[in-house]
Amino acid sequence: MSSSASNISATPAIGGISYLFPASTRSVRQLSQDSQLESSVETLESFGFENVHVGVEESPYQLARDAVAKLIDEQSIDPESVGLLIYGGTPGVMAFSPAGDAAIGAAGFCTTDRFKYPSARLQYELGLTKAWTFAIDQMACTTLLAATRIARSLCLTEGIERAICVSSEFFPMYAGREAIFNCTSDAACAVLIERDGPANRLVSATTVTKGYYWDTDSRRDEVVASYFPTARHVALQTIDNAGWKACEVDWIMPHNVSMRSWEILSGLIRLPNAKLWTDNIARHGHTLAGDNFINYRDALDAGAIEKGQKILLFSYGFGAHWTGVAVEA
Amino acid sequence: MSDNNVLLVTGATGLVGGGVLRRILEAEPGSRAYVMVRDELRWRSTEQRAFGNLASRITPVHGDLTVRGLGLDYNVRRRLTREVTGVIHAGADTCFSRSLAEARLVNTEGTREMLALARVCGRSRRFVHVSTAYVAGRRCGLIEERDNGSSAGWVNAYERSKYEAEVLVRKADFDWVIFRPSTIACDSRDGSVSQINGMHRALRIYHRGLAAMMPAKPGDLLDMVTSDYVNDAIVRVAFDPRASRQTMHLCAGSNAITIGDLLDAAYELWGTDPVWKKKGVERAILTDLDTYTLFARSVIETGDPRLASILSSLSHFIPQLALSKQFDTTVADALVGHPAPAVATYWKAMITHLMANNWRCVTRAAA
Repeated sequence: MSSSASNISATPAIGGISYLFPASTRSVRQLSQDSQLESSVETLESFGFENVHVGVEESPYQLARDAVAKLIDEQSIDPESVGLLIYGGTPGVMAFSPAGDAAIGAAGFCTTDRFKYPSARLQYELGLTKAWTFAIDQMACTTLLAATRIARSLCLTEGIERAICVSSEFFPMYAGREAIFNCTSDAACAVLIERDGPANRLVSATTVTKGYYWDTDSRRDEVVASYFPTARHVALQTIDNAGWKACEVDWIMPHNVSMRSWEILSGLIRLPNAKLWTDNIARHGHTLAGDNFINYRDALDAGAIEKGQKILLFSYGFGAHWTGVAVEA
Repeated sequence: MSDNNVLLVTGATGLVGGGVLRRILEAEPGSRAYVMVRDELRWRSTEQRAFGNLASRITPVHGDLTVRGLGLDYNVRRRLTREVTGVIHAGADTCFSRSLAEARLVNTEGTREMLALARVCGRSRRFVHVSTAYVAGRRCGLIEERDNGSSAGWVNAYERSKYEAEVLVRKADFDWVIFRPSTIACDSRDGSVSQINGMHRALRIYHRGLAAMMPAKPGDLLDMVTSDYVNDAIVRVAFDPRASRQTMHLCAGSNAITIGDLLDAAYELWGTDPVWKKKGVERAILTDLDTYTLFARSVIETGDPRLASILSSLSHFIPQLALSKQFDTTVADALVGHPAPAVATYWKAMITHLMANNWRCVTRAAA
């Protein structure tokens, strides 16, 4: 396990969040009719899912670019002030292909096309000319949390004043849309990290990786069984690293997995369900790109989060990674 | 018990019935026994291994607890009624997942039939009934060595059917004694496990990381006993005049182990295996029954067959953990002469034994 707590005078903070979904939306029932789900409609609806977003014409890259552009615009920042750009999500040339043509993108891996990186293209097209740019991979649904954690650390250790983390994850248009009882959505989400911000401060982060569960298919039972005790461990460790008590947490910004699993997990960490921000599970489903931050932005916009409140962001990614981030609003 | 006794024993192929019978035959060279078995061929295949030379003093008779009149041949029944000086009824269906009708058929109605037979055994001095401490069912707190009633209900049909059997025994107009062992863990001498039960199976599931949580608090007690204590206690007290119409807990009682200590020891031991440690299996969470039930229900609803099967098998046993209880052992301690060994003294040895034998039991041959 690795964890970190802020012990340097500056406290990196979330300076802004912007996200975008593809234009097309499909209901759980439609997905089921097209054999894109494993579980029954009734089961998934009882777990809180109603609709997901499905990329058709859009490419993961386009959506990532538009999300970052939106972030720069909304926060009125000079692109040249950005010292770090971390991209996570659909890798390589696959990111440039519309979701309906993912096979074409995959073929590009066999040529020099594989070196056409979305992160570098983002840096160029958005004018982030001073941003140290790279991508992170293989973190599944914890990618954006991991990126913000890296950005937070680099802001502190490298003196970077401003960083942007962006994740854009699509499934091929006709691929299965269920990941162990969760309906997945395509989306892109961009997060601005400031080296020292007055609000939404990144107080602590904890990640546990358990490589034994790398093969989700063959160890499915063990993955399901291990999820809860490890999730509880990471959530409580994150809270503890922040110097908080569990009962002091005001909100949990979840990854949008089934409501049922969150009811169980909140029972295990002894927090009432009322502290879960669950409005987006039904309307957006579970994005690999950045549920926690999408929810955080929506909660801010809804006026649900007050300054100084203690917020826990938690996500799990196949592979297997459990990540928690504590934010003081 | 004096020599030249003739016992009728049910459950002689089981851990308690067989263990008690062997000890009595060893201690009383003039005694002999009838064992009631459903499958004589099966009995023949195991008697030498289990009883060795003592087998020559054992006569198997075909009988079935689920059949009216026990399915005994007329001449066999006559012989038993003339010769038997004591009945030890240890036969039972101990499967926790049976329906109530199935459990009653063996455990309640089978006891009724055995009582009817014992009543006409003219020389019989006592009906020795092997019950279970878990007739207490959902009752929490201190459980006394008496009929504690049925108002609390039960976790599974086994518990209920055994409670109902006790009620029948207490109504008998002849002498009886009721022994209530708790979960039999192992042999205290070396931790060896002769019969795998629900507790061992549950432990294996947690070892494999296939169960996430259990409904209990760290300070809750889990009672278990060793097979040698139970068998020795029954042999010592079964026909003791002081035990007439007594009910006693063959349990650890105040020597039980807390769930927290139990898990500490188990995970510490498992952690010494580098292969297990490398997997990063997280310690099971102790939680409330509602959260555990929601988890179990979710797994079953989502239809994952293997996990659903595991959770279903645990469902007949694990909820008992949430019903913290301590079994009073005052009567047993006085009659046996000493308390059961503390669970902490053999718990690690038992786990070590299970791991060394790939979670299988060992068959102990007769000396």
